[in-house]
Amino acid sequence: MLGYICKYAPIEIFESMGAEMKRIEPEVASFSQADMKMHPNVCSFAKGVLEDVLSQDYEGVILTTCCDSIRRLYDVLKAQFPDRFIYMLDTPRITKDAGIQLYEKRIREMIRAYEEFSGNTFDEARFLRLLREKKAQAEPASAPGKGRLSVGIAGARANENIRKILDEHGVRVAFDLTCTGLDRKLLVEEDQVMTGYVRGLLSQFPCMRMEEAAGRDQLIARYGDSADGIIYHTVQFCDNYSYEYAWLKGVISRPLLLLETDYTKQSYGQILTRIEAFLESLRPEPELTAKKTGGSDTMYVLGIDSGSTSTNAVIMDQDRNIKSFAVVRTGAKSGQSARKILEEVLKQAGLKREDLSRIVSTGYGRVSIPFADENVTEISCHGKGAHYFNPKVRTILDIGGQDSKAIHLNEHGEVTDFVMNDKCAAGTGRFLEMIARTLEMEIGDLGPAALQSTEDIEITSMCSVFAESEVISLIAQNKEKADIANGVCHSIATKSYSLLKRVGLEPEFMMTGGVAKNPGVVRAVEEKIGARLYICPEPEIVGAVGAALYALEQVNR
Amino acid sequence: MSIADRYINYVNQEVKTEPDKGWNRMILGYQANKWRSRLLPRPGLSRGYQKLEAMMMSLVADSLSHEDSYVWGNIFAPCEIMECFGVRTLSIECLSCYFSGYHLEDYFIDCAQNSGIAPTLCSYHKTFVGAVESGALSGPRYAVTTSLSCDGNLNTFRYLEKKIGVPFTFLDVPYRDDPESVSYLADQLREMTGTLEKVFGRPFDEEKLRRIIKVENETRRALFEFYELEKKHFYPGEIISQLYLMMGTHLLMGTEEFRDLVRFLVEDIKTYPEFTGKRILWVHLLPFYQETLREYFNENPKYQVIASDIVLDFADELDETDPFRALALKIIRNIYNGSYAIKADALGLVAQEMDADAVIHFCHWGCKQASGGSILLKEKMKELGIPMLILDGDGIDKRNSHDGQIKTRLEAFLEILETESRHRQEETC
Repeated sequence: MLGYICKYAPIEIFESMGAEMKRIEPEVASFSQADMKMHPNVCSFAKGVLEDVLSQDYEGVILTTCCDSIRRLYDVLKAQFPDRFIYMLDTPRITKDAGIQLYEKRIREMIRAYEEFSGNTFDEARFLRLLREKKAQAEPASAPGKGRLSVGIAGARANENIRKILDEHGVRVAFDLTCTGLDRKLLVEEDQVMTGYVRGLLSQFPCMRMEEAAGRDQLIARYGDSADGIIYHTVQFCDNYSYEYAWLKGVISRPLLLLETDYTKQSYGQILTRIEAFLESLRPEPELTAKKTGGSDTMYVLGIDSGSTSTNAVIMDQDRNIKSFAVVRTGAKSGQSARKILEEVLKQAGLKREDLSRIVSTGYGRVSIPFADENVTEISCHGKGAHYFNPKVRTILDIGGQDSKAIHLNEHGEVTDFVMNDKCAAGTGRFLEMIARTLEMEIGDLGPAALQSTEDIEITSMCSVFAESEVISLIAQNKEKADIANGVCHSIATKSYSLLKRVGLEPEFMMTGGVAKNPGVVRAVEEKIGARLYICPEPEIVGAVGAALYALEQVNR
Repeated sequence: MSIADRYINYVNQEVKTEPDKGWNRMILGYQANKWRSRLLPRPGLSRGYQKLEAMMMSLVADSLSHEDSYVWGNIFAPCEIMECFGVRTLSIECLSCYFSGYHLEDYFIDCAQNSGIAPTLCSYHKTFVGAVESGALSGPRYAVTTSLSCDGNLNTFRYLEKKIGVPFTFLDVPYRDDPESVSYLADQLREMTGTLEKVFGRPFDEEKLRRIIKVENETRRALFEFYELEKKHFYPGEIISQLYLMMGTHLLMGTEEFRDLVRFLVEDIKTYPEFTGKRILWVHLLPFYQETLREYFNENPKYQVIASDIVLDFADELDETDPFRALALKIIRNIYNGSYAIKADALGLVAQEMDADAVIHFCHWGCKQASGGSILLKEKMKELGIPMLILDGDGIDKRNSHDGQIKTRLEAFLEILETESRHRQEETC
């Protein structure tokens, strides 16, 4: 079996020579080997391929000179497996005649190398037969399904999970313009079989490494009109597609979700939250199944937000009044804390479980709440909750224990755009906890202390681990705790500002999540955006309020 | 606070608040710095490196002052062809470094990232894209880039063309070194001269290109003479001196002024005393601002960076009678092109030829080709018995280089080198 990764790889040639071809689509548990043999900062896809090849028995791997990371992947694989057919195919970026001629020559050299390696021979007549068969088998594009929500996919090669999630949510994939989604373009020219084939390969929808890619944006925009929204996929540490995203988001009229994946199994949850939130924003009314839990004369619903640090719950009556709410630490088992909070919030409201007509869960642990009727992402719930507290709010900054996000709302409280940071501790509540520990302060004292600061200190490190070392250096320099605390609050504000800017900075602003209780961070963010932040009395329960509102809407429908 | 620092702060603020005015103020500052570097001697720094610094200050300040006098390039763009048109090449990587002279790199990087550019992209490219995004930077008439070594090139130039309308020539550099590749690239170079004729309204003179290549060969010969002399003499440099040398060998190669400067280096170094310290071969970019590295390598008789692969990325004579093929060959045979095995062998040879005591490989944030090969290079150096240190950091963005981590690694590495020397001395005694 020969592995390959790139759509420009001439796989039909190897197939005609009897080789079994497998497109490598890694999904790995860790990059332990790749980090050791390459470097952690190399593209996650390249690292994933390395892990995959190291763990499986490939006869060889066909790579193309598509990018810096793949070039290094070749070097590492070649050194690792000198006896296998690890081949680097020099693929031109120019698709004009000069490029076609050079590529044909390179492919012919590769054929000779594989003949020598495998003992198999290449026969042009056999190759032509295979091309004819494949071309005949190519399925016609399916007719678009009517009425269903449709989403297009563009950007870097997309892994299976994106399509799978869309499929599971009943969404039609309107188009997939990534390298892994396009149909193979086979040109069969009877009089010049190889030249025609090579021309076909190079005339596929160009990826970002090709000179021709300048026209991609127009094509994507044109395709975009056939979908309700577009998922723009990028791979961690592959930067090429971010240029196109930066350009497209200014010119495209459809909602655009930037989705970064890293080819690890663990990233599934992060992808799921983003896609679900995006789909919720595309269909303002989430598709909740109509099911009643119980109920009495006065109707009550429960919203429960299972976050990484705290679990929050709100009981609301049919008139949208908050009957009771509670906040508990999530602890190690989200299911347990959910049961605990259910008891508590019912007790406070003086109600029984049967009195609740509907329960909607949200947050990181939303799928682990066994008694919930439905779950909605925290992004949509924060939007709805924020609108409930203050309908003028257009931009929300939510800083939770483990992630931070910026959400843009329209005048109806519907989410129109959002960005999330859930990959790095910097700019989250966890980061503040770390620093408070280093400063030997209670987390609740850090904000008030920052307000007493008299000297400006800048924490420049963007990584929380580096920033902690920086704080330790400042302690060693005998800097005042209040000044360090203020520096840390400003560091969070800088991170937050960058998120807010990406959703457009439209006033009015609201801050939610536990960190909104920190006056130091609030002041620093306000300075940065040059506007006041609206903060409701219990900023931690906004997500749960949103979930309760969703429950209410469904029951009333 | 000195006048220079006050001016830097003033420009820094102005770029952020009134970017269109800020750009002119930046250029004014570069002009002032050009005169400062020419007129004010720098005690401790060798005469040749001072002259080199002044030459690079002039290149940037004078080019930026006249929009039609330069093109944007990347570091591997063939400056020789632009020189035929009397036009300078300013690489965007180098310009980003100059922007950091006003401490604007973090602001520009944030501008780029806020517009959607990946935070994991090379910081030189982010700085440059951000400078454009911020509205501070005004562009020249044309740009030239290559696909050599760096993924960012094509994408950055394409983005800039869309954003502010600077058209560019893209040179596709094949991976393999064979006659077909040379013809493929030589044809693109020839075609580019036709484009530049139209852009600048001047005819291309092939004879002039031959003369430029002749000067380039003379320069390279002189440079190797300098490296030979550097084995014996202490020629005090700074880590930034290697970056200036790289600018010379990539942006001013083939000019008489740079050749004469290298010849000056050759004569001048002979007047300096013997060097008995540790000789370091530096691989990849140098974080010129980094405090610990400056402390250890700037004008230090104990440790000197004697050469860097970014200067020595091509070492052969060019055939001036066939200038397009010669330039194509030069680009294809650059050690940053092709497989890493070729580069590792070449660097092993350089380390041995230059009597390097050690190699330091700097993994610049965002540079996949450098980081991805670092372990392979370490294995090669191990084979050759040459100690090698890998440092992670950022060539321009201070926020990605943690001083504590660099300091601990560097000091431990230098301690190892000292211990090895002691053992060797004991053995000889």
